[in-house]
Amino acid sequence: MSGKRTNFWALIATYAALIVVCSLAVIPFLWMVSTSLKPDREVMAYPPRWLPRHIETNRHGIPTNYALAISSDHTNFRLWTRNTLIVAALSVLGTTLSSALVAYGFARIRFRGRGLLFGLVLSTMMIPFPVIMGPLFVIFIWLGRHTPFDWMGTFKPLWVPQWFGSAFNIFLLRQFFVTIPEELSEAARIDGCTELGIFWRVMLPLSRPALSVVALFTFLWAWRDFMGPLVYLQYPSQYTLSLGLQTFQSQNGATPWNQLMAASVLVILPVLVLFFMAQKTFIEGIATTGMKG
Amino acid sequence: MLAGVVWLLAWQPSPPVPEQRRNDVVVQYWEKWTGVEQDAIQQIVDDFNDTVGKEKHIYVDMLSMSNIDQKTLVATAAGEPPDVAGLWDTKIPQFGELGALTPLDDMAAAHGITAGYYKPVYWRGCHYNGHLYSLVSTPATIALFYNTKIFHENAAELRAAGLDPDRAPRTLHELDRYASVLNTFKIGPDGRKHLDRAGYIPMLPGWYITDMPIWFGADEWDEKTKRFTLTDPGVIAAFNWIQSYSIKLGADAVTEMQTSQGGFNSVENEFIAGTVAMEMQGPWMANYIHHWKPEMDHDWAAAPFPSAVGQKLVTYAPFDALAIPVGAKHKKEAFEFIAYINRQDVMEKLCMLHCKNSPLAKVSNYFLTHHPNPYIRVFEELAWSPNAHITMQCPIASEAGQELLALAQGVVALQLDPETALREAQVRLQARYDDFEAKQKIRQRDR
Amino acid sequence: MRRIAIETRNIPKGLAFISPWLAGFAVFLLLPIIMSLYYSLCDYNLLQRPVFVGLENYRFLIHDAVFWLALKNTLYYGALSVPAGLGVSLALAILLNRRVIGQPFFRTIIFLPSLVPTIAAAILWKWLFNQKLGLINWALSPLYSLLHVQGPAWIDQPGWVIPSLALMSVWGVGNTVVIYLAGLQDVPRELYEAAELDGASGLKQLYHVTLPMISPVIFFNLVMAVITVVQVFDIPFMMTQGGPNRASYFYTYYLYDNAFSYLHMGYASALAWIQLLMVLALTGIAFWSSKKWVYYQGK
Repeated sequence: MSGKRTNFWALIATYAALIVVCSLAVIPFLWMVSTSLKPDREVMAYPPRWLPRHIETNRHGIPTNYALAISSDHTNFRLWTRNTLIVAALSVLGTTLSSALVAYGFARIRFRGRGLLFGLVLSTMMIPFPVIMGPLFVIFIWLGRHTPFDWMGTFKPLWVPQWFGSAFNIFLLRQFFVTIPEELSEAARIDGCTELGIFWRVMLPLSRPALSVVALFTFLWAWRDFMGPLVYLQYPSQYTLSLGLQTFQSQNGATPWNQLMAASVLVILPVLVLFFMAQKTFIEGIATTGMKG
Repeated sequence: MLAGVVWLLAWQPSPPVPEQRRNDVVVQYWEKWTGVEQDAIQQIVDDFNDTVGKEKHIYVDMLSMSNIDQKTLVATAAGEPPDVAGLWDTKIPQFGELGALTPLDDMAAAHGITAGYYKPVYWRGCHYNGHLYSLVSTPATIALFYNTKIFHENAAELRAAGLDPDRAPRTLHELDRYASVLNTFKIGPDGRKHLDRAGYIPMLPGWYITDMPIWFGADEWDEKTKRFTLTDPGVIAAFNWIQSYSIKLGADAVTEMQTSQGGFNSVENEFIAGTVAMEMQGPWMANYIHHWKPEMDHDWAAAPFPSAVGQKLVTYAPFDALAIPVGAKHKKEAFEFIAYINRQDVMEKLCMLHCKNSPLAKVSNYFLTHHPNPYIRVFEELAWSPNAHITMQCPIASEAGQELLALAQGVVALQLDPETALREAQVRLQARYDDFEAKQKIRQRDR
Repeated sequence: MRRIAIETRNIPKGLAFISPWLAGFAVFLLLPIIMSLYYSLCDYNLLQRPVFVGLENYRFLIHDAVFWLALKNTLYYGALSVPAGLGVSLALAILLNRRVIGQPFFRTIIFLPSLVPTIAAAILWKWLFNQKLGLINWALSPLYSLLHVQGPAWIDQPGWVIPSLALMSVWGVGNTVVIYLAGLQDVPRELYEAAELDGASGLKQLYHVTLPMISPVIFFNLVMAVITVVQVFDIPFMMTQGGPNRASYFYTYYLYDNAFSYLHMGYASALAWIQLLMVLALTGIAFWSSKKWVYYQGK
């Protein structure tokens, strides 16, 4: 009897705790949306008001702050979004393919020195980006001078390195590949499939959840990345959303809070939508990849 | 959603150079300004492209970018610099010393731009190590802005303290006395006294806080001996003065005052909102006051910021520089554009749009009478003053500037004792410079 | 014997598969690290040729007060944000692992903040931290009146800025929570059932079953958090510019300034090498200590 009562109270406590922590997580968002809809004079109101009294809109019915954030002389959301998408798409494609290939090598081909090399891959995760940031810069300049391709002033410094596998993704995918039964590849091998064929026709289709996790993580990373674009992009026409928004923020004096919040909402919105759509695959993928070390 | 992504990826931003100008020499011009200032320079660029540019087949393509100093250096190192770079004056020594800038002496002389054409203070600022490395796009002089309405509303109190409410303070000591009369307090929710309005706060806006020694007759760097002079009594006195406000009003009150509002370019700007009665500012402040609160247009005045040591017309004279990086592809055409901006009529138009004084020796009557800042004569007079100072001519000025800014913040927060902190900074920065110089000597010797 | 022969024969095939990583490692990691080591022994400003100076940069570093300050700030921030982040996210994961109606909904909400691009988070929190008009001081104002104190200026006050940034970092722990959740899935049900039969309370189960079973995940998260925190840069760069009075001037910020503002690429490289050694030392300590508290299933 007493067990049941504890369970009941435990359940109530769980819900209470969940509601409290979720409110704490979500209130800043609500505040952001609320501020983004307020006209200038309401932004500074104290005590804070949650619902704007009056939402100013332009003649198309778009709230003024959003219209200004999307396109004024000093913001260009269409351009920034396009640039971010280019970098993100090339990075996602490159890192997923190359990491999978490398992970396959580590998971399925028994060769001497494999353990040692895999240890090396994992240990590179410990190298802080700032350590290589400067020299990479010199390398990109050198590549620009000694190869037919321009590097500085293009997106290449941001996405080309992604085509050579990344340690974290290789690790994640290897862990997943190991769980796929050997018999499947053996059967394909007997049918005359080459190693590359097994990788492409057997492994990849079976690894969709893990591949989606890698793709989604990379996309989110590219969407959020700030230091890479800050160091390696040159022209305003190349700015990504992060860099564009930072410029918008740091403009001489200050940009009104409501416009900044509107711009921030616009930057967050696409990833929220993407996350909601990919949510199920994502959580399943993470669970199945397992972190068993 | 996918369609939207495809549409965005397929979309190409329109090319910067119009079709009919494809065969012109395209001059890449990077500028740091945003907002109103960017719009103004764009007007000048458009004017150039439609007149002189059209004649000489030059097309200027302007890009506005953040972190311009860094981007320019890095692009110069990569061998792909812009043809014209709109830098801060504070960066000229560093860039010049590292050989990143093209000397402009000959091209300037060929266009008739010589010492006599400029006000001496700016001409000095454009030089480093005997070379002309930049010309001015717009300059400024720094002065005291004061809220005459607050002065008049408190006329009785000011008179009681022996101060004249109809004029600005004439010595720094007098400024302190005005400030303390104009402070008002209110009781906060915590039951304590809070500063409601300040007469003066050194860190509002604090942009020139590290230049304060100028008003104490002192410099932070001696160009001749290549030594920092941070332990000069004048420098120490300046930072002590900055700290005196935190001691009088309390560090918390000063922090609260500095951080309470929405930002410089807003109606909540402390001077515009009337929460501070006096501020150290450049001539452009008139534009911001007019933009955010036109009804305040007649409630303020500007005067030279008073000296602590009895000097007349003391000012700091910063400017925006136009330079041609080494490795630029179209130097001659780039200078055509720089020379165009330096034409008296063009310069006056730009400076009026930016609401700044002129760097040129000759100034038209129209400029003085139609300028958006009614006190423009004050700023012009300051620019001619022998007590007008340029920025530290030190190749490690960016590092020194950061060090001094951090120091000032610590002094204001009552975390640092000014004299001790300055002594430490002196040792540290001098070691930094000596090391820098030694390495430059090795490079020259081995060449 | 046969196994070794096969493994030797397989070397070319294996290397072929991992060749992308090998090439990338050589050009984008190994080469820069070697260059960085060389630059750290030089005076180099990107524009002029490097001058070899031996260990001078490292010697300078020992007497550089700003280096020590940046190091201290970074470690202080890490000491606050790493345990707070790991603890809070573990608690959240355990909470979110309970079978309740709406579990996916709650999980999504907790994950949301880690989707927010850093710059948007920076802007949002700057506004939340505002001393007079910010939401945080408004929400805490009843507490302030009770204690007769004034709300802090958060990121604008030297003593408060690092705790403020650590507080903000806890908001974005969603990623870590997800990894903990994945780990919790792997804890065998039977262990809890057995514990229940033994009459172990919830807290005892947590201590004797959950924590040991997910200790490898805690360890993984700890190592990742340490690596990340040593590199923290963008939040202070966007929110405080390292101020006030360098109170939030972190290690990587100083490195960045040296490399790209002051053009001391040599000195920046020396800083980078110290950073690398620091990460190695910290993870080394973590690995060493892990023998005492990490429990690997099946070993």
